[in-house]
Amino acid sequence: MAVTSKYFPGAEKGHETEHEEHDPRESLMYDPKPRGEMNQMVMESMLTTSCKFWVVFCMLAVLVATCFFYAWGYMIAEGLGVAGVMRPSYWGIFLVNTVFWIGISHAGTFISAILRVMKAEFRRPFTRAAELMTTFGLIQAGASIFMHLGRVWLAYWLFPIPNERQLWPNFHSPLMWDLLAITTYVLGSTMYLFLPLIPDLAMARDRSTGWRKTFFKTLALGFRGTEGEWRHLQTAMNIFAFAIIPVMFSVHTIVSWDFAMAMRPGWSSTVFGPYFVLGALHSGMGAVAIVLCLMRATMKHMDYFLRAEHFDALGKLMMIVSFAYAYFFFNDYIVQWYGGDKWTDALLHWLEEGPMAWMFYQLIFFNIVLPWLTLWNRKIRQNPWLLALIGLLINVGMYWERYLIVPVMLTINRMPFTWKLYEPRIEIFLTIGTFSLFLLFYLAASRLIPLIPVWEVQEGQMTHSLRKVGKTQVPTISEFE
Amino acid sequence: MSIDLNLVGAKGAIAQEAEGKWGMVIDQDVCTGCQACVAACAMENNLSFVGEEDAGYGRTQHWIRIERFWEGAYPEVKSTPFQPMLCQQCGSAPCEPVCPVFASVHSQSQDINLQVYNRCVGTRYCANNCPYQVRQFNYRDYHLDPIHANEVDGQLVYPFHNQFNPDVTVRRRGVMEKCTFCIQRIHKAEDTAKSQGREVVDGEMVPACAQACPSNAITFGRLDDPESLVSQMAHDERGFKHLEELNTMPRITYLKEG
Amino acid sequence: MTDTTLLALFEDIDPAANAIEKLHEMGVGDSQINVISGVPIMHKMLGRPHPWTNVSRLALGGAIAGFMFGLFLNFGTPALYNVPVGGQYRFPVPPGLIIVFEMTMLFALLSTFLGVFLDSYFPNYRPLEYVPEISDGKIGIFFKYPVDEQEKFVDAMNQLGAESVRPTEAQQL
Repeated sequence: MAVTSKYFPGAEKGHETEHEEHDPRESLMYDPKPRGEMNQMVMESMLTTSCKFWVVFCMLAVLVATCFFYAWGYMIAEGLGVAGVMRPSYWGIFLVNTVFWIGISHAGTFISAILRVMKAEFRRPFTRAAELMTTFGLIQAGASIFMHLGRVWLAYWLFPIPNERQLWPNFHSPLMWDLLAITTYVLGSTMYLFLPLIPDLAMARDRSTGWRKTFFKTLALGFRGTEGEWRHLQTAMNIFAFAIIPVMFSVHTIVSWDFAMAMRPGWSSTVFGPYFVLGALHSGMGAVAIVLCLMRATMKHMDYFLRAEHFDALGKLMMIVSFAYAYFFFNDYIVQWYGGDKWTDALLHWLEEGPMAWMFYQLIFFNIVLPWLTLWNRKIRQNPWLLALIGLLINVGMYWERYLIVPVMLTINRMPFTWKLYEPRIEIFLTIGTFSLFLLFYLAASRLIPLIPVWEVQEGQMTHSLRKVGKTQVPTISEFE
Repeated sequence: MSIDLNLVGAKGAIAQEAEGKWGMVIDQDVCTGCQACVAACAMENNLSFVGEEDAGYGRTQHWIRIERFWEGAYPEVKSTPFQPMLCQQCGSAPCEPVCPVFASVHSQSQDINLQVYNRCVGTRYCANNCPYQVRQFNYRDYHLDPIHANEVDGQLVYPFHNQFNPDVTVRRRGVMEKCTFCIQRIHKAEDTAKSQGREVVDGEMVPACAQACPSNAITFGRLDDPESLVSQMAHDERGFKHLEELNTMPRITYLKEG
Repeated sequence: MTDTTLLALFEDIDPAANAIEKLHEMGVGDSQINVISGVPIMHKMLGRPHPWTNVSRLALGGAIAGFMFGLFLNFGTPALYNVPVGGQYRFPVPPGLIIVFEMTMLFALLSTFLGVFLDSYFPNYRPLEYVPEISDGKIGIFFKYPVDEQEKFVDAMNQLGAESVRPTEAQQL
């Protein structure tokens, strides 16, 4: 078989030949390597750094220091006047960022929990990369929420801690439900990130020296791989996988209720719950595509682990989610459009014909039209750069969607005397800061922990085999649990 | 075990006292739009001067504002009557359930909506949920803005601070505020009444806006006293409540142009 | 006759399973055998007894604790200090459902996680029976044996395809 594709052998062959001559060994699960070799590859990808890496790292560190820490400190000292919030858009980009980052974090749980429960084997090499996105994304979401507070130094009042005033927080408030849900989600997904990481930390401990060895030894907690340890770990992972799925759905639903519970035209929509969850999955899947493409392009040996089939599967998921997202978007839109309530009418006119109308049409194009036009095509799906580009544009579209929902929809309320358009000010820098911090965390993690769950890949390879049925070899998957 | 269905339930908002205790009637027919109420309120309640730029951007510190709408250009201008808009002290206030730290609560004794400045952490959900958009946020420490200060012997001295009302706090940045029906005056009247062993009677105190209005467009008093002027005016046939369909149960009745 | 530990390293599951059967025949009980591997292997494949775990029970316990905590937060705190808001009930039920759900899940997940630590005695930094080859995918069978019969055991393991057979003792990981 002649290798014609720059990225994947066999990916650019004609349609008929592909069907007839598809070699199962193109798939990671049917292309096993000895575990020792895979361990070596993962350790090398973690330890090899180049000049380019450090340049990017330093640039991000500078951006974080200025646009995140310094800008936030300045805003705390001066007050929210340096931001763009005003009447009637009391909520601005900080909430947009919060919703955006929580959205990104949902993809991690989808891949590591839902795909695990559905026994989708293609998830195996990238569950950790996706789960890292969850944890780091939630950190940015938490930071954005604290940035949004007027008196952030009193934020501890939001927590139900006994105090000498004997005051408890108000559980009628959707913000309190938000707090509990996001706390549950961030703790749950960090624990769910850590549990399958333990055996890989043990592997790294065995192959490291110096400070890394101490680091891995401490984090690996003395894991060896005894039958008891595996049993505890697998039971826990099963419980987590099943339990974190309803938590994931509830978190973004509760975040959407911050808006839906408010009596603002455009906001008090009953479909916001599932609409936001699907939107979250949409942007998250796109972000996973970007991350996987960058991993494959910049880290050593990743081309063994991340293959055409993974991008193909991811692309199919992205397309399915875009259908579901379009369904909920249209639901929300047409009910408002048909209604005739004068405030909602004014709001829709504002969205479609006002100064931010370009955002509205761009979001429809990026979120719905673009995936529908491109992702049905296998060649596009299997190309990591194209998929990453589509993912990036989907994320842009989703960011516009949140921007329209929060500050722009707030402009049109029931008191026309107050209508005024929001202008972002220092929020732009703080947004750049959160993106930089996210990338910085990711770069640091790629150097500190193994990004591929090698034991899960080996486990998958053990369960996949080729069985002769009739005249051909048939891929067969057994169940080991 | 029986469950008190007035306390536990899954139903939506329940009705508070439909009428309320302290209330107001604003006659839009006689309001001249002079903004004396705005100025009086600012003086009485230590409102800050946010400056031209911030005010133009939508950050005015107006606990009461005069709204007007018009179309056409001079001299063919058609305009609506002036509409003073202030906190309606709703019986079923949408701003109250959404504050996560209980900074916006309902007063049991005065039956108005309270804003507890020292509890507010500044999430601004209450302001978003207010359908009348009458809540104001302190975006900066406007009182301490050096632009208002004079430099005396190397120190900044703020002449505006001399006119502060000692009965009212001064809010720092990050805190939400709104019209309180001049609760400091209500409390003073109640203290006087208590020391005399009686209830507060209607007409014993008025908020700054009612006091300042030159055309007596604002009437204030006890809504639960059927003899009071405000209670009788509230039942006037010209009376209506803003955004009544939202079921917020405002304590302010507006009298439309007659 | 003191017992020491012998380690037999295997590449694949089949030889390892045969080795364990042979050890049973040679009189080494299940409680004296410790199988350590780089990937989880079903106990049935190796002919080992079912490994029990308390993690699911702890998870259930945590869920119940979380349920009670959620009930306290939503129904207990207004009972302790009632602050009336916006014509809503003092003990609201729909927000209560949300809070009870979240707290149930939080405590269930926390106790599952801590249950793994508890059951596995994590963190364990003392010297333990282990060799680094295991994380390279080998299956290590550590078993206690009477020291004067070492030859017999070494031969038996080598015959069944062990990569290496050697005495070990607990070492710092």
